[in-house]
Amino acid sequence: MGELAKAMAYLAAGLGVGITVFGVGSGIGRLGAAALEAASRQPEAAGDARTTMIIAAALIEGAALFAIIVCILLAFK
Amino acid sequence: MYMKPTEQLFAEHSEQHKAGHTSRQNEAFDSLKIETSKHEGQISHDLSNVPQEQVFEHLLGELGDHHGLYWGPYHLTDLPHMIYTNGNEFYYYPTSKALIDGGKFTFDKKNQIISTETESKPWFDLSITNLVFYQWAVMLLLFFFFFIAGRKAKKSKGAAPKGLHNLLETVIVYIRDEVVMQNVGSKKVGERLMPYFLGLFFFILGANLLGLFPGMHTYTGAIGVTAALAITAFIVINLTAIRESGIKAWFHHLLGGAPAWLAPIMVPIEIVGLFTKPFALTVRLFANMTAGHVILLSLVGLILFFKSLIWAPIAVPFSVFIYFLELLVAFLQAYIFTLLTAVFIGLAIGDHAKEEHAHH
Repeated sequence: MGELAKAMAYLAAGLGVGITVFGVGSGIGRLGAAALEAASRQPEAAGDARTTMIIAAALIEGAALFAIIVCILLAFK
Repeated sequence: MYMKPTEQLFAEHSEQHKAGHTSRQNEAFDSLKIETSKHEGQISHDLSNVPQEQVFEHLLGELGDHHGLYWGPYHLTDLPHMIYTNGNEFYYYPTSKALIDGGKFTFDKKNQIISTETESKPWFDLSITNLVFYQWAVMLLLFFFFFIAGRKAKKSKGAAPKGLHNLLETVIVYIRDEVVMQNVGSKKVGERLMPYFLGLFFFILGANLLGLFPGMHTYTGAIGVTAALAITAFIVINLTAIRESGIKAWFHHLLGGAPAWLAPIMVPIEIVGLFTKPFALTVRLFANMTAGHVILLSLVGLILFFKSLIWAPIAVPFSVFIYFLELLVAFLQAYIFTLLTAVFIGLAIGDHAKEEHAHH
């Protein structure tokens, strides 16, 4: 690849990961807030809320990891 | 994990600059560092004379699989190559040097094995790399632990468990009640699949915890291993669904509950969804494990890159923090893989399980 193309690829990879992490952070943050609120309103549902929160967090994190893989491919190829 | 040997690497590196001053400790281990099978293109595991711009490349190159057992820069033993070509020939070479001397295969520039005649990769590379060795080690360790715990369980006959038996039983009961039974839904299928889930959970957990010791590799950080685990999960999910509800019901699942005239739209979407779930499992586990190690190697590599100790008070506390985060992620990722597989099996069995309960 030319030098300019390589520089743009690194820039794109960095920007991509930055924006992805921004989205994932705000999404999982809202999820945690909702789970805590549900647990405080109804303490006996706290276990279910915790499990559902972890499942949803893992699925959202999976989407973030797709983005990471694409950015790594960009940066190293 | 190169926390401890890094200090030694740094000590050796700074010794290069002091003429004629070797420590006695390094002399004793120097013979171990001589690579018996070094060839051009192979990444040197002895990091003491790496030029500055290649430090990170060498450090991150440690993350893959190697054809020898190394503990940091120390070479313990060579591991054999076993190659099965598509001409139905099987070759066994005890070391990498024997591979090159044999004449049929060489390493190309990117360190992959290629055949000398056709310049292409062999069909099936069955070599025992260090990742394979660690998988076997963890399997043996798990077998040993569970064998001891099981024998104690049989002998105590209902008394309160203690020690290793207690620990393993707590974890097993947690997985059975909270993870499998709740998410799979039907008790019959859950009981039948418990060995699979337990094996999955402890295999991944063993991998992740082993990678945290200094000098060891995490084999779930190789996408081949996680892909194999996800393919196994895919087979288990679909075979369980077919076995429980019959193959017609499995095809009906592809419709997704929509009326029949929506089939041309729904079926491709559902088929894609069928394959996305194991793919997500693969990538999630692989990226979580590899990312932790890459961060740790990069942080410590900063010290080596700038060749000054000024970076140490910044890099080492960060590294310790990331290390504890990785410990958490190790447990969490094993739990999540098992949990999601249970959830997918529960979804695949679906409402048919409740009908079956109504019958008996």
